[in-house]
Amino acid sequence: MNSSIIELKDIYKSWMIGDEEEFVALKGVNLSIKQGEFSAITGPSGSGKSTLMHVIGLLDKPTSGEVVIDNKNILSLDDDETSTLRSEFVGFVFQQFNLLNKLTVQENILLPTTYARKKFAYNPLERAEYLMDRFGILSKRSSYPNKISGGQQQRVAIARSLIMNPRLILADEPTGNLDTKTGDEIMKLFQELNETEKITIVLVTHEPDIAKKTRRSIHVLDGMVTTT
Amino acid sequence: MLNKLSPLLKSALADFRRDKVRTALTSLGIMIGVMSVVMLIALGLGLKNYISGQFENLGANLVMILPGSGFTGEGGGSFGGQGLVGGAEFDEKDIRDLRKVEGLEYVVPLVFKSGLIQGEKDEKVASIMGVNEDYFELMNSKILSGVIFDKTDVSNNAKVAVLGYSLAEEIFEKANEAVGKSVRTQGIRLKVIGVIEKTGDREQDSAVIMPYSTTFGSINPQKTFWSIYLGVPSEEEVESVSSEAEKVLLKRYEEDDFAITEQAEILTTVNQIFGMINLVLVAIGSISLLVGGVGIMNIMYATVTERTKEIGIRRAVGARRSDILTQFLTESLVLSLFGGLAGLLLSAALVALIRIWFPVAMNLTAVIVAFGVSSAIGIFFGVFPAKKAAALSPIEAIRYE
Repeated sequence: MNSSIIELKDIYKSWMIGDEEEFVALKGVNLSIKQGEFSAITGPSGSGKSTLMHVIGLLDKPTSGEVVIDNKNILSLDDDETSTLRSEFVGFVFQQFNLLNKLTVQENILLPTTYARKKFAYNPLERAEYLMDRFGILSKRSSYPNKISGGQQQRVAIARSLIMNPRLILADEPTGNLDTKTGDEIMKLFQELNETEKITIVLVTHEPDIAKKTRRSIHVLDGMVTTT
Repeated sequence: MLNKLSPLLKSALADFRRDKVRTALTSLGIMIGVMSVVMLIALGLGLKNYISGQFENLGANLVMILPGSGFTGEGGGSFGGQGLVGGAEFDEKDIRDLRKVEGLEYVVPLVFKSGLIQGEKDEKVASIMGVNEDYFELMNSKILSGVIFDKTDVSNNAKVAVLGYSLAEEIFEKANEAVGKSVRTQGIRLKVIGVIEKTGDREQDSAVIMPYSTTFGSINPQKTFWSIYLGVPSEEEVESVSSEAEKVLLKRYEEDDFAITEQAEILTTVNQIFGMINLVLVAIGSISLLVGGVGIMNIMYATVTERTKEIGIRRAVGARRSDILTQFLTESLVLSLFGGLAGLLLSAALVALIRIWFPVAMNLTAVIVAFGVSSAIGIFFGVFPAKKAAALSPIEAIRYE
C-alpha cells in the first residue's frame, strides 16, 4: 500500500462574519492523500471544498487540527518554514490561472525557483524548457500571459506548478475558465502526468464529469467529508 | 550581500520596464515632492537675497544728520528732501568740525535738489546731488565705466559728473557710452566722467552726482547742505560716534535744529524681517514637504495595495514574507532615489534658469531634507502596505480585490 504524503486530522476552519456570527467552513475533516493518487474534491459551492484545498496546500492555516507531512505536524512551523515547505512540497493550479502578466511565460514558470532555498538536482531552465516543449507552449516562452489563450495560460500554470518537482499538485477548478474542449485537453494532461510520472494530483471541482476522470472522489458537504 | 542584491535590482529594473506607467507615476510623485520643496525654498531664498541686496546698498554703518527733527519730526519731509523747512543749515564749517570726531571714517556733505538734466539723447527731471569723493565708498557704489571724481575735483570745483545707471541709460544712447560726453543742468555744463552700476535704489540710480563745491554756484548759492552722512568703520562704533557728533553740533545748534539717524536702527528692523522670512521659509518648506509627502504616500500606497494579488501569487509559489519585503524595499528604494534625483536635477536646471532674472539659490539643507524625507516616505509607503499584504495568508492576498 502507498504511504500518505499528507494527512489531515480533525481539521476545523472557521472565521468571523462581522462581530457576532462565526462561520464554520470545515467541521472536523479527516483525510489522507496517498502517493500517486489522482483524486477530486467535489461538492456544491460553499461546501468548504476550496477551503479544504487551501489547508492541504498550506495556503491557509486551519483553526484547529493537525496537518501531518512526513510524520510532522506542520502547523507548528513558522511562516518561513511553511513558505519553504510550500515551495518544495506542493504546486498550485488555479481557476484564474494567477499568472503575473508582467512576467513572460518562461519567467512565470521559473518564478517558484527564484524563491527556492534548496540546491537543484537539475537545471531549472532546462526543466522549464522541457515542460514548455511538452505542453506545446515553447513558442510562447517570451510572450506575456495576457497575450495568449486561456488554455495556453493554464498550461503555463501547470508547468509552473511542476517546475519545483513537488510531491503534490493541487488544482482548484482548473477547467472552470476554459471551454469544454480545452478543459478536456487540460484534464488529459493531468491524467497523463499522474499515469506516466506518478505525480500525486488533487483537484477541486464541482463538475461530476471532471470528477469522473479521476480515480478517487472526495465528496465534501457542509464542511465535512462525506464519502472518500 | 552584493550578489544577493544584484538579481533583486535586476528584477526591480525589469519590473519597471514592464510597468512603465506605474513607474513613471510613482517616480513623478517623488520627483514633484522633491522639486516643490527645493524650488519653494530656492524662491524664498531668492526673495531674501534680493531684499538683503537692496539693504546692503544702504550701508549698515551710516549715520545721517538731517536738519529739523529728521525722519520722524513734523515737516521732516521724505528722503526726497524737498520738504525740509527750518532747523539747521549745515555748511563747510560743520564738515570741518565733524572731521575732528574720533573714529569717523567718512564725512560726506550732501546737497540735494531736483531738476531737469539734459543729455545727448533726451532730458529728464532727476536728482541733482552734490557730495565729496567719499560718498561712493560710503554708499558702496561700484563704477560701471569711467571713473569717479576725487579730492582734487572737489577742491577745484571741477565741472564733472557721475551718473546713476538709469539716468545715463535714459538721456544717452547707451549707459556706458555716456562717459566723455556732457550733461546740462541748472545752467551749467558738466563733463560725464563715470557711470555707476545699477544699485536698485531709484534715487541713486537716477541721480547726477557732482562735487558739492560745484553746486556752490547757480544750484546752491547759499552753500548749505541738505544733510551730512557719517561713515563709521564698524557697527559697534555707530552709537559712540553718533553721540560725539551730536556734542560737536550742539555747540552751534539747538537740540531741535538737527536729528541724527543711524542706519543700524533700520538694520535691526531689517534683521527682524529676515528672521520672519526665515520662519516663513521653513513653514513653506514644511508645507510643501507635507503636500509632496502625501502625494508620494498616495501613489505608493495605491500601487502597492493594487499588487496584493501579485504578493499572494508569489507567496503561493513559495516566497517568504522577507522575500516580498526585500522585493518591495528594493523597488521603492530605486523608485525613490530615481524620482528624487530627477527632482533635484530638474530643480537645479530651473534654479540656473531663474537666476538670470532673480537671485534664487539652492540650499543644501533643503536639498538633503527634501530628498531624505521624500525618499523615506516613498520607501515607507512602498514597504508598509507590502508588509501588510505579506502578513495575509496567501489565499487571502490572491483573492484581494
